[in-house]
Amino acid sequence: MSVIDSLKKDIHYIESLNSCMNCGVCTAICPAAEFYNYDPRIIADTVQRQDEESLEALLKSDTIWYCGECMSCKTRCPRGNTPGGIIMALRRASQEQGWFTESEKGRQQFALKRVLGTNILNYGYCITPDIVKPEMHPEQGLVWEWIYEHRDDVYERTHANYRHSGAGTLRKVDDDSLNELRQIFEVTGGSEFMEKIETYSLRKAEENGLDPESYFLQTYMANNGTHGEEKSNR
Amino acid sequence: MSVIIIGAGPAGCEAAYRLARSGESVELIEKEAEIGGNLNNWYQLFPDRKQAADLKAKLRKNIEHPQIHLHLKSKPVAFSRQGDGTIQLTLDDGALITGKALLVASGFRTFDAHRKEEYGYGIYENVITSVELENAFINHQINTSTGHAPKRIGLIHCVGSRDEKICRLYCSKLCCVTAVKQAIELREMLPEAEILCFYMDMRMFGPGYEEMYREAQEKYNIKFVRGRLSEASEDREKRLIIKVEDTLVGKPLKMTLDLMVLMVGMEPAEGNDQLISMLNLQTAPNGFIQVSDPHSGTNCTHQKGIFVTGCSSSPMNLTDTLTDARSAAVTISEYLNS
Repeated sequence: MSVIDSLKKDIHYIESLNSCMNCGVCTAICPAAEFYNYDPRIIADTVQRQDEESLEALLKSDTIWYCGECMSCKTRCPRGNTPGGIIMALRRASQEQGWFTESEKGRQQFALKRVLGTNILNYGYCITPDIVKPEMHPEQGLVWEWIYEHRDDVYERTHANYRHSGAGTLRKVDDDSLNELRQIFEVTGGSEFMEKIETYSLRKAEENGLDPESYFLQTYMANNGTHGEEKSNR
Repeated sequence: MSVIIIGAGPAGCEAAYRLARSGESVELIEKEAEIGGNLNNWYQLFPDRKQAADLKAKLRKNIEHPQIHLHLKSKPVAFSRQGDGTIQLTLDDGALITGKALLVASGFRTFDAHRKEEYGYGIYENVITSVELENAFINHQINTSTGHAPKRIGLIHCVGSRDEKICRLYCSKLCCVTAVKQAIELREMLPEAEILCFYMDMRMFGPGYEEMYREAQEKYNIKFVRGRLSEASEDREKRLIIKVEDTLVGKPLKMTLDLMVLMVGMEPAEGNDQLISMLNLQTAPNGFIQVSDPHSGTNCTHQKGIFVTGCSSSPMNLTDTLTDARSAAVTISEYLNS
């Protein structure tokens, strides 16, 4: 199936693109466009032109991973389009094809899957303090390092119920709820989807001669520093 | 028996004059205390920079014709037909007017810029509309709210036009050329200022318009940036910080302006909906009055004996409005003689 045909089956695409007149309001309001080499108007225009070669290049690029899906574009577009929704469809297509492993930002899908995806199934939380390891999150700084090291004491003093059964903030999610959650992932295709990310990523790791752990760390930490730079072909 | 005309703006006055000259008696009804309608808000007209007041004076002189009876400060409140099809209109002062034909020339109103809240009209002091800029031209005074001559001025196209978010899908047609005209007028008053137009498409459809646009670029150093405004905010000096994309460069742009002018589009006149329902007319998809045929029935409605002219049926510039009024006069004459 061509990229455009697969997009046309995606509800996010159907709901997000009527016809774009290239006014640039989405780019003007876009927080990602301010920092990244990213232009939602060009996304809408590229998709609208339906050129398969450009679409494939887009799905393999860093570009589609810059959007934060804040949907500010939806609030402004005078034609009722939502570039952020188009991005959702493009990302899905890239994930389905395995093309996300072709770009640095795309490869971070593996880190996300391994962190958020695994956490939700293991703990019932996307993020819990235990897994925000200071060495993996230098951006959190020294304060976080201190909280992390003293997390049991700190959370007790904030009246959280950290890692314990029963009610309260940060409580342990009970087994029945966790099982229910896992079942939801099974039935809705969430597990299969995450498996796909895993498979494509490990294939890429092997291609690059990396063991899974090193590849994971690479997807987690790597930053080639060019994401905010202007491309000469723009 | 007469022809009744609702609205004594340029369309109503021109049609009244032409009908009177061809021997018809005209009852011209105007809700305001003076004739002219939106023309009263304009300083100079494009493309020839004619004084709006001169055109108005000419219209006023024309309707001094003895066959024209002007009813100022009057609004129609009830409509009925007699057995022979004669139209009866009751005015708000209780007067009853009868006619063989009725011409709707109720015109337009400008878009209420408050509705585009993200542009900050009514919130930030240095955001004004194109209508307010015309008034400033009439007074020969352009200052910011802090009393300075603006150094950088932005004219924002398509405010209230081509915008699904405010249910105005249509193009108001004349805001582009108004922006070009006003930019040139600004340049003449402020030789040092930086003047920018933010547009999506330059729709220079009338004779002399494209030439004016070119002149604005070549002779008057007006900059044209292709991008639609997303939002404005205000800094401590009451200047405006605007966010657009320069789409021809493909880069988001943040810029500070001393004055921002919103080129407001055209909407159906106040009372348009009531008029449509009172006269049992049809509403066009754009909210204006539906004409019976877009080519051969541009002055005809779906009601026998009821006609429409000027901006009652769609946004029009003055040239087209006056032409359309003459066309309406011919259409009505033919109807009366058939």
